[in-house]
Amino acid sequence: MNRPSPAGWRRRAAAAWAVALAFGAAAFALAEVSWRALPHPRPLEELSYYPSGRSLRPATLGHAATAADLAWLRAVQYYGGHRATDNRFERMEHVFDILTTLDPGFRPAYVFGSFALAQEGRDFPAAERLMRKGLAANPASGELAFQLGFLYYVRPGGRDLAQAARWFEQASRQADAPPQSARFAAFARQNGGELLGAYELWGEVERNSPNRLLRELAARERERIREALRSGRHERAMSRLSTPAVLLKAD
Amino acid sequence: MNALLIAHNTFREATRDRVVAGMVAAGLALLGVTLVVSPLALGEGSRLLVDLGLTGISVLGLLVVLLTGTSLVAKEVERRTIYNLLSRPIQRPAYLVGKWAGLSAALWAVAVVLGLALWGLVALRGHGAAGPAVLQAVYLAGLELTVVTALAVMFSAISTPVLSALYTLGFFLAGQWSYDLRTFAAKFPPELGAMVSAVAHLVPNLPLFNMRTLAAAGETTTPLHLALATLYAAVYVGCALGLAAAAFESKDFK
Repeated sequence: MNRPSPAGWRRRAAAAWAVALAFGAAAFALAEVSWRALPHPRPLEELSYYPSGRSLRPATLGHAATAADLAWLRAVQYYGGHRATDNRFERMEHVFDILTTLDPGFRPAYVFGSFALAQEGRDFPAAERLMRKGLAANPASGELAFQLGFLYYVRPGGRDLAQAARWFEQASRQADAPPQSARFAAFARQNGGELLGAYELWGEVERNSPNRLLRELAARERERIREALRSGRHERAMSRLSTPAVLLKAD
Repeated sequence: MNALLIAHNTFREATRDRVVAGMVAAGLALLGVTLVVSPLALGEGSRLLVDLGLTGISVLGLLVVLLTGTSLVAKEVERRTIYNLLSRPIQRPAYLVGKWAGLSAALWAVAVVLGLALWGLVALRGHGAAGPAVLQAVYLAGLELTVVTALAVMFSAISTPVLSALYTLGFFLAGQWSYDLRTFAAKFPPELGAMVSAVAHLVPNLPLFNMRTLAAAGETTTPLHLALATLYAAVYVGCALGLAAAAFESKDFK
């Protein structure tokens, strides 16, 4: 069997190990060099070239929910990356559309996507579309109804209290509704609460959301409101709720 | 010399195998289907043709590796033909290198046939200028298959065909996600991040061999990219075959 002596094959095995380790170290280093030297796709950017979740769904071969999970990981990364750098979220609607089409029951994606689109992306219509898509797919969800009410309640560029009250009320009729739904429906109906109402809503998110990025977003919104209350310049924080997004950016 | 002889035999065996012939036929059929559906692509027919054609080369090549490469060594052990071979003055590493080289050559042949067919179709559609991009992409796809073949030979030398196929597929998938793993590693706590980053370096960095998006847009890549990819493929293959040889040397055939 061409195996002259144990010492011989041990020597050859050791030599093979040495070759493997040397080449392995070179491969390790080259992987790093190529990562640094060559342009590479940023996660999710290639995802945004997919035509739509609907045409992507068949390609997942029955694993659409898994594909949605992967898309979710990338979406969160996309948001985090742009939040930390240029604050531009142009492809976010498309991205969340893909993942919620892949898995229409993915409720946290509607909530996070909508608030990120509205508050950071300054694209309220896109946020509204996403949340309404979520409610169309999950009509009995008190949680989504509540969040849509919340979205109207804190809408940048002008609150829509009538819509907020409608959706808070709808939420309060569902089994999984947050307990504060009815209270906020009353808030919105009375056109009351103003900054304190918004502060409390964001507080609920900051305390209870399992999503760290959403908690951070809520914390930033609360800080803005606190600052406005401290300085007595309520209009600064109110402007986030009632002035056009263009002015808010300048602010 | 022994390695060359084994490579020649493996190449001949692989090209006579129905699996390889079937994959070439499937690739050509895929190109034909892509031509038929391209009018539905609203002016993006050539892009669709290049993209699907290149994906076809990669996926069909992977299937050949999984169906043929993962049983390369195990099949010979099972049929006991390996006893005849290794009783001759053939070094075990040379046997493995020959097996890898033979199957890699067969895969290159498949990639070249399908790549030339793809180039011809793209030229027929009036986009002959995309030829260099298509050829570069086919070259990188061939390198990718060469790396995956080395992994398949490595697993084949130490495990059963089914497990080898699963391991190879697992490494292929992890390799495709290696860039994502690196990005995720940066977001994790330091210890976990370092571990994920190490895994991302150890699995084959297959995105390095992917320029399908560029080729679909008719754009070529840089010589640096081609050089790095070639060098990386060479050292990764060296590492995988080194590990295979180390394991194979310790194997006692009775």
